[in-house]
Amino acid sequence: MIKKIYLIGNPNVGKSVVFSRLTGVQVISSNYPGTTVELSKGYLRLENEKIEVVDLPGTYSLESTSSAEEVAVSLLKEYSKDEIAVVNILDSTNLERNLLLTLQLIEGGFPTIACLNMCDEAVHRGVQIDIKKLEDLIHIPVVSTCAVTGAGIKLLIERIKETAPVLRDKIPHEERWKEIGRIIEQVQHLEHRHHSFREMVEDASVRPVTGLIMAAGVIYASFKIVRFIGESIISRITDPIFIKLYQPVLERLTAYWREEGFWFHLLIGDLINGKIDFKQSLGVLTTAPYIEFGMVLPYVISFYLILSLLEDIGYLPRLAILLDNLMHRLGLHGFAVIPVLLGFGCNVPGILATRTLESKRERFIAATLISIGVPCVPLQAMIFGLLGAFGGFYVAGVYLVLFCLIVILGAILNRTLAGYSPEFLMEIPPYRFPPLPTLGKKLYFRIKGFLIEAVPVVLIGVLFVNILIYFKLFDFITSISAPIIRGLFGLPKEAVVALVIGFIRKDVAVGMLMPLGLSAKQLFIAATLLAISFPCIATFIVIWKELGFKDLIKATSIMVIISIIVGTALNFLILK
Amino acid sequence: MKKISLIQLKASHKGKVAEISGGGNLQNKLANMGVHKGKEVIKLSHIGLRGPVVIKAGRSILALGHGVAAKVIVELE
Repeated sequence: MIKKIYLIGNPNVGKSVVFSRLTGVQVISSNYPGTTVELSKGYLRLENEKIEVVDLPGTYSLESTSSAEEVAVSLLKEYSKDEIAVVNILDSTNLERNLLLTLQLIEGGFPTIACLNMCDEAVHRGVQIDIKKLEDLIHIPVVSTCAVTGAGIKLLIERIKETAPVLRDKIPHEERWKEIGRIIEQVQHLEHRHHSFREMVEDASVRPVTGLIMAAGVIYASFKIVRFIGESIISRITDPIFIKLYQPVLERLTAYWREEGFWFHLLIGDLINGKIDFKQSLGVLTTAPYIEFGMVLPYVISFYLILSLLEDIGYLPRLAILLDNLMHRLGLHGFAVIPVLLGFGCNVPGILATRTLESKRERFIAATLISIGVPCVPLQAMIFGLLGAFGGFYVAGVYLVLFCLIVILGAILNRTLAGYSPEFLMEIPPYRFPPLPTLGKKLYFRIKGFLIEAVPVVLIGVLFVNILIYFKLFDFITSISAPIIRGLFGLPKEAVVALVIGFIRKDVAVGMLMPLGLSAKQLFIAATLLAISFPCIATFIVIWKELGFKDLIKATSIMVIISIIVGTALNFLILK
Repeated sequence: MKKISLIQLKASHKGKVAEISGGGNLQNKLANMGVHKGKEVIKLSHIGLRGPVVIKAGRSILALGHGVAAKVIVELE
């Protein structure tokens, strides 16, 4: 009786795609090893019975050599062997290396079915595998699938119940590769293919000179495209909706409602020159939806579109190779580029992705650098919207300050923290071109996640702030912090409200700056400070959960000190 | 036969893995990824200034940090 189904396989063979196909549960999958850092669970209906399916982190072997692999192996041993079925997912284009784990699973007595995934790519690359022959040699059911299109999944489900433990002698490590070689010789036929254009691009992207040129091009183009798409959505779609459709409705409402009492203040906010101004009114029905849907959402869409594309093509591991040098100076290695890039979307998944880094020290450095130096999309969108009005020069300035900060802080942490940075060792996937529906689904999944998490917090946040402002409860904080805010940072004392709100959400915090009428320099300082200072509460909690209370306090202290130094330095160094 | 490390091997040259002069953990890790004694590998590139080495082993492409690459000794044919 099968009680649980485990999906196990080498990193980046498409376990998460198979998982989504089996359970209907959508999970993020990308073209680089180590996308899955959280265990995903779902259910598969098998002969009128709901069976739990668990997607395990990628592992090369049952003799675990990293913490993610340890998790996979220990979970596999949770249930007795006759109560589970193991679906071993293999990359058809790289059968030889993948078979090691398969043989270990069989030797370990696990009831296993082998699922040769990415069969379409194998055909495309001239790899033919004799499935029947392989079945005869390893004595377990073997099916060929292409999870991205869904081919073969039905057969896989049908044959899961055929799994049974197979008796097999354990063989020593050195012998195993020889045996795998013998199996491969009998089942795999390689057609000779000429070096394709794709392989040439793959090679060029990891060579020093061509690689760096390509990296610079990709980063520059990504930035430009994100900006272009974001601005286009705002000017063509969201702004017209807000100004032409929504504003007249609200104005009719306010025409009947002249009293301007507590509720008016809460929902509509202040009228600017007798009119509703989405950027300055600060009401729950005016500025709150405008910040989320009119300023931030367009950029969330464009950022995740480009990030998902880069992930699925498989460019990120190549960027990791090129930046390995620099990352070593910061106490990290190349792979840390991926959590940092995810952090540009939202710090929370970025910090979760640091789980793929081996040591606690690396994780602390990466999480601290992300929470201090990496602004999330909502914050960036607001910076574009506000500071961009003064010219791209100021926006670039914010990024430059943050970049320098990451490099300097990383170098300091690397020198002062005990320990060392482990070496880089990573498999580089081939370039793949994701089918549009796959990309669309991933984008939809991420945007939905953003809306579910952000919208309630923004509405409640603005409501809460408006209540505090109405009852003048901020006056106390404003007056005690005035010496620092005004004296050191050169900001009006009311700006402290934004810094405090930054703890709830960064986009709302920048929103609080909108009615203050700041100069370009003040806005530049305030925006930089918001990026550096306290992470929002969600990031705060995730650092606490991932690294523990002690490290949270350490990271927070570093943050406070740096905020004060940078704010003061910028104020006194910039003249205008 | 000449034995050199992956660092010294020239780009687009072949070599057969002769030994991995690291601890057992590193040997296992590399073996699990398909780089074991007797395996033929091709060096694809080397990012300068102590950057990683990229190799092709079988059908997979692997990036090895400078320190790891220095420990992989290959035989030239």
